[in-house]
Amino acid sequence: MSGAATRALGMAKRLFRNKGALAGFAFIATVTLLAAFAGFLPFDPLAQNIVESLEGPSAAHWFGTDELGRDIMVRVVYGARTSLLTAAGAVAIAAAIGIPMGLVAGFFGGWRDAVLMRLVDVLLALPGILFAMALIAVIGRSQMAALVAVGVHGIPGFARITRAQVLSLRKRDFVTAVEALGASSTYSMFRTVLPNSWSPILVQVVVLSSVAILLEAALAFLGVGIPPPTPSWGEMLRTGKSYLYEAPYYAVLPGLVLTLTILSLDTIGRALSVVLEDRQMIGGDTKLERVP
Amino acid sequence: MTGYVLRRLLQLLPVLLLASIGIWAMIFAVPGGPVGMILGENATPDQVAAMTAQLGLDRPVVVQYWSWLTSALAGDLGVSIHSRQTVLSLIAERLPATIQLGLASIAVGLLIGVPVAVISALSPGSWLDRTLSGWSALALGVPTFWLGILLILLFAVYLQWLPSASGYVPIWQSPLDMLRNVVLPALTLGVYVSGIFARFLRASLVAELRADYVRTARSKGLAERDVVGRHVLRNALLPFVTIVGLMLANFIGGTVVTEAVFTYPGLGRLLVQAISTRDYPLIQGCILVILVIYVFVSVMVDVVYAYIDPRIEYS
Repeated sequence: MSGAATRALGMAKRLFRNKGALAGFAFIATVTLLAAFAGFLPFDPLAQNIVESLEGPSAAHWFGTDELGRDIMVRVVYGARTSLLTAAGAVAIAAAIGIPMGLVAGFFGGWRDAVLMRLVDVLLALPGILFAMALIAVIGRSQMAALVAVGVHGIPGFARITRAQVLSLRKRDFVTAVEALGASSTYSMFRTVLPNSWSPILVQVVVLSSVAILLEAALAFLGVGIPPPTPSWGEMLRTGKSYLYEAPYYAVLPGLVLTLTILSLDTIGRALSVVLEDRQMIGGDTKLERVP
Repeated sequence: MTGYVLRRLLQLLPVLLLASIGIWAMIFAVPGGPVGMILGENATPDQVAAMTAQLGLDRPVVVQYWSWLTSALAGDLGVSIHSRQTVLSLIAERLPATIQLGLASIAVGLLIGVPVAVISALSPGSWLDRTLSGWSALALGVPTFWLGILLILLFAVYLQWLPSASGYVPIWQSPLDMLRNVVLPALTLGVYVSGIFARFLRASLVAELRADYVRTARSKGLAERDVVGRHVLRNALLPFVTIVGLMLANFIGGTVVTEAVFTYPGLGRLLVQAISTRDYPLIQGCILVILVIYVFVSVMVDVVYAYIDPRIEYS
């Protein structure tokens, strides 16, 4: 087994010694598997059956049925697909833009740093939900709009964390050594500084996933997220809210799954940051072998 | 001091300028642009030309932005397409409701968060501390719109003590009615923000408790409640002011979701309505006002902090 794999395995072992993180991981894994393989299950999230509308939880429909007689549990499973895909896409956008921004700002400093960080300030000056809503007001409601809106909201986090990490690594001996050996700044930046910055970035990935799922659900709850009939947790809460008297489970159960997902990710994120900070203290500059 | 305030305000200018350009340019990114938005899709070229001239869209871009900015600064945010009222009057109508909810939520957050923080900080690592930290994690993780729905189910549907939809009753009109209407949304937001308050205050309390002056105070025989109440809490509360202020700034712009849960007539709901009716002047106005308030409250927080903490230098 390679060194990296051994290290990752050791880290995972330490991470899952935390029972909360283990439970959270089990929950996220279950939701992800269900979402991924939902298409193979013999249930249709759009199948209507008006006769069975707003029925309480039963053996046939574990979470009950909605106002059109659709199975709420099946829709929660398909809603997980919407949530997870949007979160993954948003995190990818935020990382793809934010990490290079922070890298360049921290590595070169000067005017590049000033310009990029002012941009980050502007993004930070707007409350996330407001920015997302403004963006959707312009480009219209769609899955792509929700994904981009949530993704842009995540850029400042990645940019700031990467920049802080780069600033602390920039003056370390092994970076100076790489540059003294004649490495280009691109090489030094991507092959030396970035590989040593991954631990806070990894924590940020988990943290932002949780934020992204929450923000996507909030947008759908406000009626500006992914348009129906695509099942989405936020949209189910929005509709369920109209039936609080007839069918309280309608809003409660999808909300419970959403809440557990967010709490799981938060727990994993906290445990991960503890484990990684530990590793950094013990391991030090583990990537010295990357010197050209 | 005056110089410090002025400098902080000057630092804001680029941020506000960039954001205002973004908000102004928003309307041009909309399919059909501002003209298509007013005339609809079936307008004749003549109508389009006339409207373009009427709106001044044939002028250079810089001139257009400048005239938009100057009239916005003078309080003219345009007229709502939907209701034909001025955007400023619509916003002015909703703003007090949002501010009242924001203040009530901060109050609830402090009532829950400060005791939680003090109790956990006094016995770090104990089972009580761990339980209360669990509370903070829960308060932060539970989506406000789900918590709001649960509160409505409990207090409005089952117990029938409180209304399920909250209106705006100014506190000076009827404090009791105001309380009945604001308690559920304020509890929803207050629980969330109590998580932030508790975490932050606990961390700064634990740090302060390790300080030398605490050992001195204890060794001269001061009672523990005086050590905490007179010395530690005072020092720990200083940075805490910043967080409380920032959350207040946030709530003035960010109670959108909670307002939707309780159909509360605040600024956030106005914005959501504006977006769903594609009322662009109103959207721009709401975002601009929320942003300006948010940014100014943040600066005020910095200024207040510098004022109450004599260790901060203004230069």
